Amino acid sequence: MERAGVGDRWRPPRGRHRLPPEVVARSQRERLLEAAVRVVAERGYGAMTIGDLTKEAGVSRTTFYELYEDKEACFLAAYDNAVETLVRRVIKAYESKADWPDRAAAGLAALLETLAAEPALARLSLVDVGRAGPAAQRRYRAAIQRLTPLFEDGRDFAPGGRGLPANTSRMAIGGVTGLISDELVAGRAEQLPGLLSDVLFATLVPYIGPDAAAREVERLTR
Amino acid sequence: MAGSETRRQLILEAMVRVVGRQGYKATSVADVIVEADVSRTTFYKHFEDKHECFLAAYDMVTERVLDEVVANCNGQQTWLERVRIGLTTIVEMFALDPQLARTAIVEVAAAGADARQRHWNAITKFTEFLEDGEELTGGRELPDNIALMAAGAVSGLIFDELLTGRAERLPQLLPDLLFALLVPYIGPGAATEEMRRAAAG
Repeated sequence: MERAGVGDRWRPPRGRHRLPPEVVARSQRERLLEAAVRVVAERGYGAMTIGDLTKEAGVSRTTFYELYEDKEACFLAAYDNAVETLVRRVIKAYESKADWPDRAAAGLAALLETLAAEPALARLSLVDVGRAGPAAQRRYRAAIQRLTPLFEDGRDFAPGGRGLPANTSRMAIGGVTGLISDELVAGRAEQLPGLLSDVLFATLVPYIGPDAAAREVERLTR
Repeated sequence: MAGSETRRQLILEAMVRVVGRQGYKATSVADVIVEADVSRTTFYKHFEDKHECFLAAYDMVTERVLDEVVANCNGQQTWLERVRIGLTTIVEMFALDPQLARTAIVEVAAAGADARQRHWNAITKFTEFLEDGEELTGGRELPDNIALMAAGAVSGLIFDELLTGRAERLPQLLPDLLFALLVPYIGPGAATEEMRRAAAG
């Protein structure tokens, strides 16, 4: 998703035109959000300036401040946008299958493939969010908790699911996202899909145990 | 007059406290030198900038925790015992010193990619404790990253609790955390059993 595509995006004609102001504002907002994703990926959150954002998005500084209070507000909006796209894709893949292990495999595969295909989005969602202060960190935790069903549904699937610890799914999510962040920090986004069998095993094992988890991983990743 | 090494140590301790209190982003070199009661010149004699100082403070903290874990586990024969005692040690240290905990688990994520790298290196060191668990799996092949993910599960839950300011509640989570560490090796039935024993003891 590098640079291509964004330059081709439709922009309202310059000069006088009859487009309703809310249409213009939406387009400007979208361009700023996309710019934030790219600038963060290139430079990191710390080094990003409002000048970078307005230049990359092709909007004026005045427009920026009409839409966002500061750099952090723009980053948080870009973050919410990125996470929304990601979570929607994962949930859609998850819901396309019937049994929980198959659903988990489909959801995790969608997660890894999306992150690998869009390293800029991946960095923003999982790595740079930590740098943007406490508000962003709380958003990060809230965002990954949205993936809870992918894990928590194992409770109904597993025979002894009810007796498992209350935090089982929260911890499984932590293990999976931790490993993914580690790969991203090390600059190995493109290798993420290769981790499917590992993260699937970690997702299944608290509910169905190592033997059944290994069998399911074998069946689902063959 | 304190020696150079002592002053360096004072600065590192101050960094841990200030970052634990107000977060990495809001911490300045000025805050750290006030807390450490050293001059700006002294600070820059030892460290290039806030970031370098933070990384050194982070290394100090993880080393301290690891030393404590190793000391407490010394002489413990079974793998299960070592995992339980190691985890208890970490959780109790964090509960007693929430500033140290925040620096070690939460703020490290705010200090950039190389700090996160260090965080994962530290987790990898702790997971060496888990590797022997493979002996209990009856020759079963586990994924390469299983110990790392088990440790990530633990640090993720601790992160959540610290973010919402509940460091003192960490010991209550011990049974759940122990379950996450053990389950890939011994399965949910046996891990739940160990969890109940930990909660009772």
